[in-house]
Amino acid sequence: MNDRNDDFAAQSGAYALNALSPEEREAFEKHLASSSETRTETTELSDTAVALGLAVDPVTPPPALKNNLMALIAQTPQLPREADVVAESDADSVDAASAPMSHVTPLAASAALAADDPAEQSSTAPAAPATPAQTKAQARWFTRPATALAAVAAAVALVVAGGVVADSIGRSSIEQSSFASQQADQLAAINAASDSQRLVSTVAGGATATFVWSGELATSALIVDGLEALPADQVYELWYIDDSGARPAGLMDAAEDGPTWRVLDGDMGAGDVVGVTIEPKGGSDAPTTDPIVVFESA
Amino acid sequence: MLVLMPREADVGVTPEEPGVPATSPQDLLERVATGDQAAFSELYDQMAPRVFGLVKRLLRDHSQSEEVTQEIFLEIWQTATRFDSNRGAAVSWILTMAHRRTVDRVRASQSSRDRDVRIGIRDHNPDYDHVSETIEVRLEHERVEKAMSRLTELQRQAVSLAYYGGYSHSEVATMLKVPVGTVKTRLRDGMIRLRDEMGVAS
Repeated sequence: MNDRNDDFAAQSGAYALNALSPEEREAFEKHLASSSETRTETTELSDTAVALGLAVDPVTPPPALKNNLMALIAQTPQLPREADVVAESDADSVDAASAPMSHVTPLAASAALAADDPAEQSSTAPAAPATPAQTKAQARWFTRPATALAAVAAAVALVVAGGVVADSIGRSSIEQSSFASQQADQLAAINAASDSQRLVSTVAGGATATFVWSGELATSALIVDGLEALPADQVYELWYIDDSGARPAGLMDAAEDGPTWRVLDGDMGAGDVVGVTIEPKGGSDAPTTDPIVVFESA
Repeated sequence: MLVLMPREADVGVTPEEPGVPATSPQDLLERVATGDQAAFSELYDQMAPRVFGLVKRLLRDHSQSEEVTQEIFLEIWQTATRFDSNRGAAVSWILTMAHRRTVDRVRASQSSRDRDVRIGIRDHNPDYDHVSETIEVRLEHERVEKAMSRLTELQRQAVSLAYYGGYSHSEVATMLKVPVGTVKTRLRDGMIRLRDEMGVAS
């Protein structure tokens, strides 16, 4: 056991420099929770790494980046404060602090973007009570539950990457951006709903589709990673299907970059089946081809 | 707590620099945590050149660097509510997150890097010779450069490749032709030495 601990202690420098593999990073963070000595050293070495970062010449980013960000944050909710989250959760859950946002994780996985970090998603701080002094001296952001943080960042990155592309059909640019922001709001609302559910399936052709919905909101969204682009005279059409037949629920083009996603038009009924077909440009009133993917929500 | 905190510590000390921020990143981040978009705007103005400079240093590609910088600031916005100044300084929190996210991106776009690893070391030191615009940054350069000069060659190379190149310890081992275990030890020894030289203590 001692050897094993020494092994971990030797990794503090590599950890502070982000030079560990994801698996090693995860194991190291678990170890941090149990060793105050390593924790103190790691904190100091992380601060030392920051000093290396401060020696890099600053470069001013293009102004458009800030404009973009200011628009994004205006519609991006912040995480609840940790104390609030813990208060709302059962105190006996080890994962209490990260639980409320954990339903976002599969979205994060489908986003396949930088913020998607498997190591962080499973790193959680110990639930053991600590004295305030201990907390102050030893706890740092890297020992805290990071699940929610990574997942939310990835979910938003998904919105950013796929947002405007997913439905640009026949809309002016102003209509497009307000449409994109509405869609982003709705997607966030579905994920935040207490009854949010999801299914994952493979699309003909190999893409991965994730269907998320909330019965309370009667709203659903489809996220497809790796959706193939169609010829210009065709379009993907989404359908809600119940006993009385298929109702058109919106069109989408494959995103050029990142996952394709769309919040479905109209209300989702309990037990509705959702399907996607390839239709002629402009869409059809009823499906004319076999669906490439089907989800049964019941 | 971190000693090496430029903005918070140096406000008023460098009157040569115009536009010295009136509000510290710490205070701004705490206001951001309450949903204050104006505070976010000011925090961005103060920190974005730092973050973008670091991201660009690691990624090199301009458009990817913009993307990652945007992701980092979005994450700052979302997670500011979890920032606790008792646990560390705002600048540390931001730069630590920025470095990690950038390294994640570097690893995700691995193909061109495999070639780098095979070919060997390129220049991954910060541009020490570059004359910096601000006294603040120049002082930090000098401090890091001086501390770096106290390391052994292997320590210095390993630390630089890991931090400024975003290479994993196994990549560093390949590039320096030493066992992974040795790299881990050198990274730790090197960082401890830097910590002591620069007087960074919690």
